[in-house]
Amino acid sequence: MFSLAAQEQLLPGDTLQQKWEFAQAAGYAGIELRAQGDLRFAARLPELKRALADGVVMPTVCVEMLHFFGAFDAEQRRDAVVQLKSQLSVIAEIGGVGAQTPASYGMFSRRLPPFAPPRDAAGDRAVLLDGLAELGEHARREGVTLFLEPLNRYEDHMVNRLEQATDLIRATGLDSVRIGIDSYHMNIEEADPAAAILDNAPWIGHAQVSDSNRCQPGAGHLDWPAWLGALHAAGYSGWLAAECRLTGDPAAAVAAVPGFLRRAGA
Amino acid sequence: MTAAPAEGRGATALTASPGDRAGAGSPARARPEDPWRAAAAVLLGNWTGTATVPSRTLYPHQWSWDSAFVAVGLRHLSPRRAQRELEMLLGAQWGDGRVPHIVFNPAVPHAAYFPGPDFWRSAGSGAGGRAGGSTGAGARAGAPAHLETSGLVQPPVHALAALLVHRADPAASARRGFLPRIYPRLLAWHRYLTADRDLGGAGLAAIVHPWESGMDNSPAWDGPLARVEPAAAASFRRADLDHGDPADRPTDLDYGRYVRLAADYRDAGYADAAARHGFAVEDPCVNALLIASEEAMAEIAAELAAAGPAPYGAGPRPGPAAHRERAARLTEALVARLWDPGAGIFRGRDLRADRPLDGYGVAGLTPLLASGLPPAVARALAATLAGERFRLGELPLVASYDLTGPAFDRTRYWRGPAWFNTAWLVERGLRRHGVAGPADALRRAVPALAAASGFAEYVDPLTGAARGARDFSWTAALALDLAAEAGGWPAAGAAAR
Repeated sequence: MFSLAAQEQLLPGDTLQQKWEFAQAAGYAGIELRAQGDLRFAARLPELKRALADGVVMPTVCVEMLHFFGAFDAEQRRDAVVQLKSQLSVIAEIGGVGAQTPASYGMFSRRLPPFAPPRDAAGDRAVLLDGLAELGEHARREGVTLFLEPLNRYEDHMVNRLEQATDLIRATGLDSVRIGIDSYHMNIEEADPAAAILDNAPWIGHAQVSDSNRCQPGAGHLDWPAWLGALHAAGYSGWLAAECRLTGDPAAAVAAVPGFLRRAGA
Repeated sequence: MTAAPAEGRGATALTASPGDRAGAGSPARARPEDPWRAAAAVLLGNWTGTATVPSRTLYPHQWSWDSAFVAVGLRHLSPRRAQRELEMLLGAQWGDGRVPHIVFNPAVPHAAYFPGPDFWRSAGSGAGGRAGGSTGAGARAGAPAHLETSGLVQPPVHALAALLVHRADPAASARRGFLPRIYPRLLAWHRYLTADRDLGGAGLAAIVHPWESGMDNSPAWDGPLARVEPAAAASFRRADLDHGDPADRPTDLDYGRYVRLAADYRDAGYADAAARHGFAVEDPCVNALLIASEEAMAEIAAELAAAGPAPYGAGPRPGPAAHRERAARLTEALVARLWDPGAGIFRGRDLRADRPLDGYGVAGLTPLLASGLPPAVARALAATLAGERFRLGELPLVASYDLTGPAFDRTRYWRGPAWFNTAWLVERGLRRHGVAGPADALRRAVPALAAASGFAEYVDPLTGAARGARDFSWTAALALDLAAEAGGWPAAGAAAR
């Protein structure tokens, strides 16, 4: 059985403690945090430590910014690395396992005008490897893992498929960098999501779940039994974290996810 | 999760009979004239995103044997969806191996169906269940913590369905890992039936509630039910009468007995060993399907063995020979315990009274599914089918109960009407024993009558007139299956005598 988490903004409640109470009742075993820029995640450390002391399980954090370590702009890249390093340190301090980030988000799509990015593929690769090396080294020192998330082609032009992430991670040679897979993006990008999981099994460190329509698992048409079955077959033992929009009554929707995922084989 | 409310969907309005209030006032959706497309539209329309509901009007959740029959038809539309139908059902399996007869859709209001989640309390009530695992009445039997299900079971047609679904597209099945994932669950299911439910000690599975037969209101249960003190009428509120015609549905008195039995079982924690069952019957259809499914398990085990060694952690895998041996042993026990040579039919055994049940029901004909049935028994069953009690050949389908019997009622639920799933089982059984003529006739009649009736839940056995819900999932599914077997949809007149 996989451990299930929900991102904090999905859970009703004003405090992490209240959210945790709801999450446990619904069948979640953890809360995935969201980290904003300007070192705001580090500023939450007192709050996070109080939650930790109250028994809240917070295994992972997902970056919530508009610039990333693969940005075209050097200044933005530098800031993204600073932010992410801080986030890795904070998640380490509260006993978590890692932080998830894409290479970029909303910066460029080869499927939308003007179609040709301002930086060539070799340039992209050099930037990504630099960033992964620095972040991965920092994660290693902190005893946590950086999860690189492939996004679909409309949200990122550099890392869309698991094999692309695997290729970059291999090149870094660091055990502290792994793929953070996301069922929604895989549905768009992978020819066979289950086969992609098996092909990249040793490199998968984290998994986020949402359905074909970005809504909660069960609200779309993904082949969950096959996707979850592949994760089992791959020997994956990490978390499944719900990162999704909610359809219907929000509290009922997020509460129904553990039951649905278990029934689908999680 | 994405289900429409329990209230009617459009297509029912087109075919509603005067007594059928379901679908009234909802927008009409035209039914395709081509029967294949019409059947497909029923199955696609009854898919909730997770599984298939038997009927949008009367049955808004997932039912166990319905889903197995649905998968048999869905395989002709989408083998992947057919696999998922079975996977989502078996995903609600309890720790003791039982496959619940209803898996409730959390998006449907609890009051939409009685007995609903608040009655069964399998996982504890309330949104999302409770922390720290299952705390409901099903906790000791291993009910899932964050799902609501019933605590009863239905006939084990699932392994047979799984094999048929696999064979519809072996490549897709292998790609999705369908058989390796579903086999351990089927194994646990059969273990539950043959161990925990061997209440008679002879190796057969017993049912502890009429609903577990799938033939809820059969006259066969009148005897054993008469001993049951009905639950007070004020203690529950039926939901089936909101949508079904009361003249077709069980009486209030019988319903009170059903409620009593289910409540007692629940209050005993759904424990089979400890519970003092007020109703315990070895049913021929339940055990015939168990045999057919064990035979299917032998085929599945052979497929798995051919695919290579089991991966680490896959659990035990008895070989094909072990499953065949189990099927043979069950067949032997079935004939020894339930065959009535004088009557030419199998009869259920009332374990409380320790005697055979009265009457001739369609359940007693389904052991034709067992390939190891002695030829003389198979011949006798074929003769009973053709005789005055069932008149197969003269009538298109098989009545659920003896046409000459004292309790025969051509409209009331399982007390006479003809169902499409039992016709499918009898067709399969007849073909297995080489009785090709009647099997061919059933293969023509099922699709023809299904389409002509608007895919009715059941029909008048004498006239073929539609009864119960329309756009009923297994009717569409099994009609599709037999039409596919026949190589095309038979002409409308094929159901005529």
